[in-house]
Amino acid sequence: MANASPPPPPYSSSSSSAYPPRPLKSALRSRQQKPPEVLERERALLARLPAADLSREKPIRNFLATRFYKFVLLTIHLLFGIYLKLRWAYHNILNRGLSILYYHHRTPQLIRKDVKELEERGKLPEHVSVILEYERGGLDTLIDEVSEISCWCASAGIKTLSVYEQTGILKSYISTSHRSISQRLHSYFGRSRPRLRVHAPPLSSLHEPGGEGREVDLEVIFISEEDGRESLVDLTKTLCDMAQRGKIASEDVSVELIDAEVTENTISEPDLLILFSPSVVLRGYPPWQIRLTEIFHVQDNSGVGYQVFLRALHRFAKTEMRFGR
Amino acid sequence: MPSPTLHGSSRTRKWVLSSPPVEWATMKLRELLINALRQGPVPQHVAFVMDGNRRFARSNHIETVEGHNMGFEALAKALCYKAGVRVVTIYAFSIENFKRPLHEVNALMEIAKIKLSQLCQHGELMDRYGASLRILGHRSLLRQDVLEAIEQATEMTKHNDRAILNVCFPYTSRDEMTTAIRDIVSSSTIPHTSPPSPSPSDSSTSTSTSASSGRTATPGLMDIESITEKTITRHMFTSGCPPLDLLVRTSGVERLSDFMMWQCHQDTDIVFSDCLWPQFDIWKFMPILINWGVKRRKLEKERGDVEVRGVGMGMGVGRGGGY
Repeated sequence: MANASPPPPPYSSSSSSAYPPRPLKSALRSRQQKPPEVLERERALLARLPAADLSREKPIRNFLATRFYKFVLLTIHLLFGIYLKLRWAYHNILNRGLSILYYHHRTPQLIRKDVKELEERGKLPEHVSVILEYERGGLDTLIDEVSEISCWCASAGIKTLSVYEQTGILKSYISTSHRSISQRLHSYFGRSRPRLRVHAPPLSSLHEPGGEGREVDLEVIFISEEDGRESLVDLTKTLCDMAQRGKIASEDVSVELIDAEVTENTISEPDLLILFSPSVVLRGYPPWQIRLTEIFHVQDNSGVGYQVFLRALHRFAKTEMRFGR
Repeated sequence: MPSPTLHGSSRTRKWVLSSPPVEWATMKLRELLINALRQGPVPQHVAFVMDGNRRFARSNHIETVEGHNMGFEALAKALCYKAGVRVVTIYAFSIENFKRPLHEVNALMEIAKIKLSQLCQHGELMDRYGASLRILGHRSLLRQDVLEAIEQATEMTKHNDRAILNVCFPYTSRDEMTTAIRDIVSSSTIPHTSPPSPSPSDSSTSTSTSASSGRTATPGLMDIESITEKTITRHMFTSGCPPLDLLVRTSGVERLSDFMMWQCHQDTDIVFSDCLWPQFDIWKFMPILINWGVKRRKLEKERGDVEVRGVGMGMGVGRGGGY
């Protein structure tokens, strides 16, 4: 905003010098008989008249004004761009520092220590969700990131982790991911590694590798864009079908009904959503489920990092839930 | 308690800021900036969660009701139609807010009634921006007198077509989605032969599709396979508005709290601001707008590069076409 403080020279000078001639000329032509002092007064007056009603017949003036505003906007964008660069640099140095200060060294005990305070206050989220990007590093990076985050969750004592990736590529690599996460858990925990279940919503109740009753320590769920709007569209279709066959009335459609269906078919409402992107854009994350979810991101951060995860947990513990009260 | 020196300095600052020359200069500066912003990409649809009125009241030792009042004034200051925004949606009252103490709910209703009629009087704010008012939400939960005030206010601004102010009055996003789905379900059971259908555009599309591919459809009923995301979007309260470009939530709470979930979960930029709503004004909003513009311009450049490579056309003149 500081850039706008210099007065607008091109515009104001052009307005005062360029615009009197034409109206004056016509005035002079039509009122030749007027005494010179009247003309003088008119001239003085014309210079002070507001530009509003003259602007219509002044295309050049309008053009110049637009040019000028464009120039101002360009300057604003330029300065803002510089500011953003500086902010980015500052935040990155800060993030680097934090990631050196807080590093897990693949030791669950260290992670436990980092979240101990939160656990004592009972402020640890049960269900954490993350948004990852496939385009940034390809499949290998993606699975690697999933494994890392799973280990952090397991160490911190978070029971459910849902991983949102827009394209849904992870859903076709469930067994690969399961293997990768298991290996990583082994390198963190050694022999007594936590029990793990990896699955994706459409298959959830049908194909469970370990069987229904098995208790797990960490549940990893892969979700994608199709679990958002598309699942709601499918639900609408099902409900329409039932209504057409007279099984339900439209009045039966309630928030509770939809919530039950959505929770059963996809995921429940997460407590905390962690973004590893520099700003908050949800990229098609399931809309029904983000009602009261705490959305965390680190400004100007890009990339998965333990310090982001930890800061998210701390931030979550500090906030009070108010439920509209 | 503020120290006397602090108090004094803030008073002198206020005095300086309200002195005619400074006021004139800030006004000119604001005009200049707004005119400049118009030249670039501007979000067409902006949503606000007006959060922090009560906290502001508490920290400034004023009545809660007064805090809400000031919040309403902040809204008037933050309305950004002049910068080229066409639709502003605000979260005024959540269905969950009915859980608040009764006297506060009643006071809020009174404020709403007064402000609605104030806003919409001839020559007042809404008229000046050429904006029409729409109330979104579960209206049947409201009292009769409030409903009447709403009716009157919408009626008075109906003729304005340059901009729209959506006020989400007793609203939650889940309720909105449920209502949309319920509407679709109920319209799917109405046979086509009966002419009145809730939304004319929808019934026409469904007839045409069911006529072309009538295999799954029960004769005379809506073809279920024709239901898409677009159908649901059309049944949202915001149907007809451009897609939501920017969502701003004040007071540092980083949650959507059941607001515009269907509309904002794709490409919308969501910004969480730390200031409380009564303190939010054009100077707080300007950086957000500029940031959005910078980002959008970068995005357009990337997209433009692809287009130029594909079509071989020149400079990015096509701004405003897509958005």
